[in-house]
Amino acid sequence: MDTLKVRDAKDVEEVVRAAIANEQPLEIIGHGSKRSIGHTMATNAVLDLSALSAVTSYEPNELIVTLQAGAPVADVLSLIDSKNQQFAFEPMNTAPLLGTPALGTIGGMISAGLAGPRRIKAGGARDHLLGAHAVSGFGDSFKTGGKVVKNVTGYDLCKLLAGSWGTLSVMTEVTLKVMPKPEAERTLLLPGLDDAAANKAMTAALGSPFDVSAAAHLPKSAFRSRTDGLTDGLTDGLGDIAGQGEALTLLRLEGITASAAHRAGSLRELLAPFGTATLIEDAASSALWATIRDVLPFAAGGALGAWPVWRIVCPPASGAALGAQLAHETGGDVIYDWGGGLIWAALPPKGDAHAPSVRLRTNAVGGHATLIRAAEDVRRSVDVFHPQAPGVTALSERVRAGFDPKTILNRGRLTRGTAT
Amino acid sequence: MAIMMPASDQAVLARRAEIVAALRAIVPGEGVIDSAAEMRAYESDGLTAYRQPPMVVVLPDTTEQVSLVLKYCAGQGIKVVPRGSGTSLSGGALPLEDGVLLGLGKFKRIREIDFDNRAVVTEPGVTNLAISQAVAHAGFYYAPDPSSQIACSIGGNVAENSGGVHCLKYGMTTNNVLGCEIVLMSGEILRIGGKSAENSGYDLMGVITGSEGLLGVITEITVRILQKPETARALMVGFAQVEAAGECVARIIGAGIIPGGMEMMDKPAIHAAEAFVHAGYPLDVEALLIIELDGPSVEVDELITRVETIANGCGSTTCQISTSEAERNLFWAGRKAAFPAVGRISPDYLCMDGTIPRGALPKALARIRELSEKYQLGCANVFHAGDGNLHPLILYDANKPGEIERAEAFGADILRACVEFGGVLTGEHGVGIEKRDLMPEMFSEIDLNQQQRLKCAFDAQGLLNPGKVFPTLHRCAELGRVHVHAGKLAFPDIPRF
Repeated sequence: MDTLKVRDAKDVEEVVRAAIANEQPLEIIGHGSKRSIGHTMATNAVLDLSALSAVTSYEPNELIVTLQAGAPVADVLSLIDSKNQQFAFEPMNTAPLLGTPALGTIGGMISAGLAGPRRIKAGGARDHLLGAHAVSGFGDSFKTGGKVVKNVTGYDLCKLLAGSWGTLSVMTEVTLKVMPKPEAERTLLLPGLDDAAANKAMTAALGSPFDVSAAAHLPKSAFRSRTDGLTDGLTDGLGDIAGQGEALTLLRLEGITASAAHRAGSLRELLAPFGTATLIEDAASSALWATIRDVLPFAAGGALGAWPVWRIVCPPASGAALGAQLAHETGGDVIYDWGGGLIWAALPPKGDAHAPSVRLRTNAVGGHATLIRAAEDVRRSVDVFHPQAPGVTALSERVRAGFDPKTILNRGRLTRGTAT
Repeated sequence: MAIMMPASDQAVLARRAEIVAALRAIVPGEGVIDSAAEMRAYESDGLTAYRQPPMVVVLPDTTEQVSLVLKYCAGQGIKVVPRGSGTSLSGGALPLEDGVLLGLGKFKRIREIDFDNRAVVTEPGVTNLAISQAVAHAGFYYAPDPSSQIACSIGGNVAENSGGVHCLKYGMTTNNVLGCEIVLMSGEILRIGGKSAENSGYDLMGVITGSEGLLGVITEITVRILQKPETARALMVGFAQVEAAGECVARIIGAGIIPGGMEMMDKPAIHAAEAFVHAGYPLDVEALLIIELDGPSVEVDELITRVETIANGCGSTTCQISTSEAERNLFWAGRKAAFPAVGRISPDYLCMDGTIPRGALPKALARIRELSEKYQLGCANVFHAGDGNLHPLILYDANKPGEIERAEAFGADILRACVEFGGVLTGEHGVGIEKRDLMPEMFSEIDLNQQQRLKCAFDAQGLLNPGKVFPTLHRCAELGRVHVHAGKLAFPDIPRF
């Protein structure tokens, strides 16, 4: 199969137009770091955007950066870090979980839209994509949005492109919002809570005026992967704090130093009924949150590396009941982020990855579940993305066809059995 | 009327009596209004320069009625214009002569307050402020705060993706909405999202927000609510030059400080506001910044000091810092009353709404001054300076022949300048009819066609709010055609692996 390494937006147009003429589908990749997410695609050729890697412009005072879609995430992060800025939605690095090399492009980051712990405060990738240039499945370059933070001119197609897994258009250039990095961070650690109590503590914290920027819970069982050790220098960032082997509930406060410290104190008092919280700061704190963000306890190189992993999004206060039930039913492990609104579930290997039970329980609370990691044969028999109500499915399909009527782009990735 | 609306369908108008009767069968009693006198209340929204009575007004009070009305209209080929409180500043709810005006004013109930999930489920006719009031007892509020918040409906906020003074820090409507129930033009009722942080599949909520009533009629909304910051304090800083004020804004952001609000007024706006509310604004400055910091006192006090230092470094000539809630509110009183204050010094005004990169503020103000000379019309400027959103108020007198046309031409030139400086036509008021014909300044025909294909996915007949947003309407069949480029059968000659 051909891999076509495009050099500019014009090349992308030409490749898509040729694919339309041949009625042959294309697989769209950057570094290909998330290729294992979704269903197996029908593809006649791979459109590789990794050479479109330039930083078009970076204006720290305007809080924006404009990048070609193939720009490596790692390079961009170090660029904006040099100006003490960040992507506030804390994009997840999927490499440890999927067991792929530590790569990934900006286009892939937006198309997957996997936000980290600060999602609850700062929003997701969709909230930080201000504008885009893209080539549709009509073979035409179009732009949407702009290069300013406040804009309501025309439909907000950026929202659709974020999280569309490359099925609507091939993004060639994007403008993203960047935000100042907080001066300081403090994380309160509450040991020993069961899932239900932890959910209550997180709800209390997020309902407080202390501006909590992340709330996660690691049940006791989440530490079991450490006993088998992690391979190849992969660290889980938990360090000594996991030494007790107790469950840990984590709450993060960020801002100017005096403020973060002050709020940490106030929050500790508020949470006193849940136990005595200890405090970690700055570098130790950020390493810990990277562990949560990248779901390192379920890393491909760890003890649960062969287990399928679900990403379940639900109303935050329903998290513990749902997660505990799934863990109990399947003998699996769960980790909670977003105050209970995001559950990572590693479940024991099974042909259907426990999909019927995951979907039934998730539907019952109005959530949705994505099978982020599973072997190809499992993905052939299970819907990776959450099935939606028939009317929403039909509308989504009409929306998709409005971008790509011949289904040239990533055909079959989102819906099982549509690759042919 | 300076703007062309889609031609009225005479066949529909000829059947008016029959249509009114059919609508009465769906929405009984006072829910259908067809007398000319009563319909006058609906002939315009906040963009009062444009008026058009609708064919008939329907005020349903259940989702089922909305669905039946839309289904009937879709079947009969009748256009529908949805309306919330009618405060749109871009003409989004301007009726059509041959259209049904569908008012959501009876959807006034907050359905559920869920503090544990930090969400409120509400009907669309509830006002923006009423949501904050309903949760205030527990210390919560709904963050987006358009200046019309006592009157504007949350349904209209979703349709327009409304902003407000605090959206620099807390985001616009789109960043604060979790889900909705929407009725498509076909009458189909769909639920999108819910109380989860994000939805599955394509982000339909994201495109429905800000779609200006062209994609569907929203009958329920789930918004997220936040805890109110512990305290807020404001600085009021005067500058002898606009450029210095612009530099101050850039340096504050550059220092990593995101204020809760950061507003700028120019001299004419300062004078108008001070004459109206006597807020103690300095009258000898060219530009005034109001900068609000919110959070815990320890943070606010520290940031006030940092901002004051930055302002001094930029050559501020006056600087007052609020020491009480009363004083903070007084600083804001002038800014919040800026529109009515300008209304006192001029018989009429047009409020513009472009956004520019913050760094282009001085350049944009200079251009506005030139244009003011050219068109011989005054202009007072208030800005959401933190996010580069300009609100030039063009002063004119509708009773003087030719002034409205000159004012509109002046406004169009300001918006063209915004695009030229790297910005956009509208930051928060929407395109509506007001900026519709300027869309090609910012978007190519291909860009606009791609947007209209989205419209086709929701409303293939183009019956919902036609004539808004898009300068040229295309049939969906035409937009959906794929052009096969001859001679493009082979992949181009690019590197292969």
